[in-house]
Amino acid sequence: MRLAALLLVFSLAVLAFAADTPTAITTSNTSAVPVLRTAPAAVDKIWSAVVLATNPAVPKDPPGELREFAPRLKRVFGYSQFDLVGSAAEKIDDRTESWLVPSQSFWLTVKARRAVSKEARGGYLLNLELFQDKRPLLETEAKLAPGSPLFIRGPQYGNGQLIIVLQVQR
Amino acid sequence: MKPFEERFTAWVDDQLTGPDLAAFEKELASHPEAAAERAEARKLGDLLREPPAPPLANADFFNHQLMQRIAAETPRPAEPAKARGWFWSLPRLALAGAACLLVAGGLFKTLIPSPAQAGEKSKYYAQVVEAWPGDETIWATTVYNPEDNVTVVWLDGLDYIPATYALR
Repeated sequence: MRLAALLLVFSLAVLAFAADTPTAITTSNTSAVPVLRTAPAAVDKIWSAVVLATNPAVPKDPPGELREFAPRLKRVFGYSQFDLVGSAAEKIDDRTESWLVPSQSFWLTVKARRAVSKEARGGYLLNLELFQDKRPLLETEAKLAPGSPLFIRGPQYGNGQLIIVLQVQR
Repeated sequence: MKPFEERFTAWVDDQLTGPDLAAFEKELASHPEAAAERAEARKLGDLLREPPAPPLANADFFNHQLMQRIAAETPRPAEPAKARGWFWSLPRLALAGAACLLVAGGLFKTLIPSPAQAGEKSKYYAQVVEAWPGDETIWATTVYNPEDNVTVVWLDGLDYIPATYALR
């Protein structure tokens, strides 16, 4: 019995020590979702872009930043050409709210916490607010991980469609 | 002059003679119990001088009883104290340490996502936990496309933006 208790205490101590570097377990004050505090060395970024999707007669190749997303954008939204209106990236800081301003008209506020679940694979739990100028369009809580983008279908623009793309970059 | 006890013993054993005997018997006038004591001592001497006692019929039982009584009356030597600290012998400490490391490693592997895992391209997809439209005229629908591993928040009810509006 005494041995079991000692084993448990020692294990927890080792676990806490191991978890302290490079990441430490903590709990959000505002919700019950357990999160991991990122280590100072982490360079994860949240990348956002405003994309104009159109269907011209002769579509152009997507810009380099969108090449990764273009096939999926085509299949999901059914457009053939994707132009980058603007993009912005910010280092993820779990203590402060970040502003992402990919274009003058569309911008986002982001609060991120690293998701602790193993399935999240180092992803983040994000509190996002999307604005068009001063008008709030959407507030959402989403889990994002590298390689798993989130698309937001925005308003129609001329003959095309505005799409906001969000992705965690490592 | 010899002490009284010595002369008394000699008197009991009939070793005093002549003037010594007379002087001692005069001295015994002040000790009326001396005669009785002498008789007791002589009786005991006679008993001791008798032939040996007849053999016991149940000698073994007598010896057994005697030994038991001796054993009961003899204080037992204190038992040596149990060796203290046997539990924390070196091999046991080593085993406990190894077990701790195993448990800690298991917990770490289970609970803490490793950087390698975090960097892998995963089948994990973006999940929208909650979505609240900015106002009543907007509807938000979440769609997940498993083939492309992409999640889309589909906003309806947004104002059309004319192409003349300069997007920057």
